[in-house]
Amino acid sequence: MTEQSLLRRRMDGSYTVDEWGLDTDLVQLLSPALALRWQVVVEGEDALPESGPALLVFNRRFGWSEPFVVSRGIRQATGRYVRVTGAPDVAPVGPGLRRLGAVLARPDEVGGLLRSDQLVAVALRASPRHRQLAGTAPPALLAPALVTGAPVFPVAVTGREIGRRWRLVIGPPVEPPTSRGPLAAEELGDRVRAGVQTLLDDAFPPSRFRS
Amino acid sequence: MRVLVTGMGGEIGTRVANLIEADDRVDDILGVDIDPPRRRLRRAEFHRVDPRDRRKLVRIIRDFQPTAVVHLGVYEPNARCGPALARELTHQCTVTALGAAAESPDLDRIVVRSGIEVYGRGRGAPTRPDESIAPEPTSPYGRSLLEMENMAREAGVVANAAVTALRCAPIVGPHMASPLGRLLRLPVVPVAPLSDLPFSLLHERDAAAAFVNGLECGFDGAVNVVAPGAVTPMQAARIGGRAVLPTVGPSWLFARVFTELLGAPLPAHVRELLMRGRTADGSFAEKTIGMAPQHATPEVVKDLYEWATVTYLRGAEEAAA
Repeated sequence: MTEQSLLRRRMDGSYTVDEWGLDTDLVQLLSPALALRWQVVVEGEDALPESGPALLVFNRRFGWSEPFVVSRGIRQATGRYVRVTGAPDVAPVGPGLRRLGAVLARPDEVGGLLRSDQLVAVALRASPRHRQLAGTAPPALLAPALVTGAPVFPVAVTGREIGRRWRLVIGPPVEPPTSRGPLAAEELGDRVRAGVQTLLDDAFPPSRFRS
Repeated sequence: MRVLVTGMGGEIGTRVANLIEADDRVDDILGVDIDPPRRRLRRAEFHRVDPRDRRKLVRIIRDFQPTAVVHLGVYEPNARCGPALARELTHQCTVTALGAAAESPDLDRIVVRSGIEVYGRGRGAPTRPDESIAPEPTSPYGRSLLEMENMAREAGVVANAAVTALRCAPIVGPHMASPLGRLLRLPVVPVAPLSDLPFSLLHERDAAAAFVNGLECGFDGAVNVVAPGAVTPMQAARIGGRAVLPTVGPSWLFARVFTELLGAPLPAHVRELLMRGRTADGSFAEKTIGMAPQHATPEVVKDLYEWATVTYLRGAEEAAA
């Protein structure tokens, strides 16, 4: 779709916004500007399903680039939009991010998206003391994947906050937990965190990761 | 089956009555409302009665002894009456009609019109709640609906009847008395430029079909009925070719006065929709009442703006010539 037709759709209101707020036309319009800030190389995208739900769990440090890198990288590689959790519910930042695909970090929000066959991305919680570690997984946000049966993929993200070049490595889906009940989400969190850590250790030299 | 339809004078009430009339399994239909029906009724018996006239309403319903109730006597603020009267009429109609119907020995199902306003749109609230989310209304209309749902459940327990609470998205259509519909039809529509969050709607025909399906299925519980898709207030105004009035903070007070002067008052739940959006997960409806809305939300908005071409009837002399 050309930029002219995208602009015409904005004038006559015929663009689409989904129930969570994603405006795909706006993402396409902003794509050239986002390309100036983030150049993303993606590996392992073949592991992701072409359709149907999936939960992606990625590492995050203390910058703001990782959610944009994950959503942009996967959209470029697979054509699918990723709904990254963590948008604040405060205007104008929250509604603005929701237009680009972000959603609130709520289990019911993640569950609803997975039931609607969407790709959802959840960030690991980074630790300031152990920068070389992937972080800890939020079990409450992973639990909907157990309920819906969606596959869970570890994703390693690396790059410098002041640079343009970022790398995204998508690992194979983690095995479902053997536990049942509340322990299952904890076990799933441990497995996916270990998956992200393995990807980081395999793909990037430790010295480079710490830099 | 003997069906009592409260609120039969509204657009949805009359449509529901017309649909039930076509069903041979329904033996008798009784309608009550403060306003007369919108269209001709073939089989239904209608009583024009003020819900506040408790003695008369109770007598009519006791005499009828319904086996099923479709409770549409729920008055949206600034749709057919002001907010205070709407709240009072909703309360009185629910207490009296459902209370009297619960005394009927053969009552086995109650279907009530609720709305997704019961979920509220507080800070951090889910943007697309399903039926498992506990209602936390944040507008007077939402609180009124939740109170009505609770009273219906109480009546259901007394009568040992299934209570289906259909939580409808804002019902809009060319013939529907709706404060949101009136607002979107203004030449200038106030919008919140810093948020402009999506909302979902429900077409008046889909709403009527949902109530009839709910009556047939007799499901016990709450069900969201929401058209697929969503639009934002700015987008809706653009679809209708309307100008937008960017409104922030205290300027909403000015917008309220402005829209009221133009004949489209802005009640709290509509203001909340414009500022915080309003959607819900309607996927449960297909499993429980076997109903999926036929009109997507953008289609509902387009239908709202499509006015039939005015055709002037020729005078008698001209026709005779």
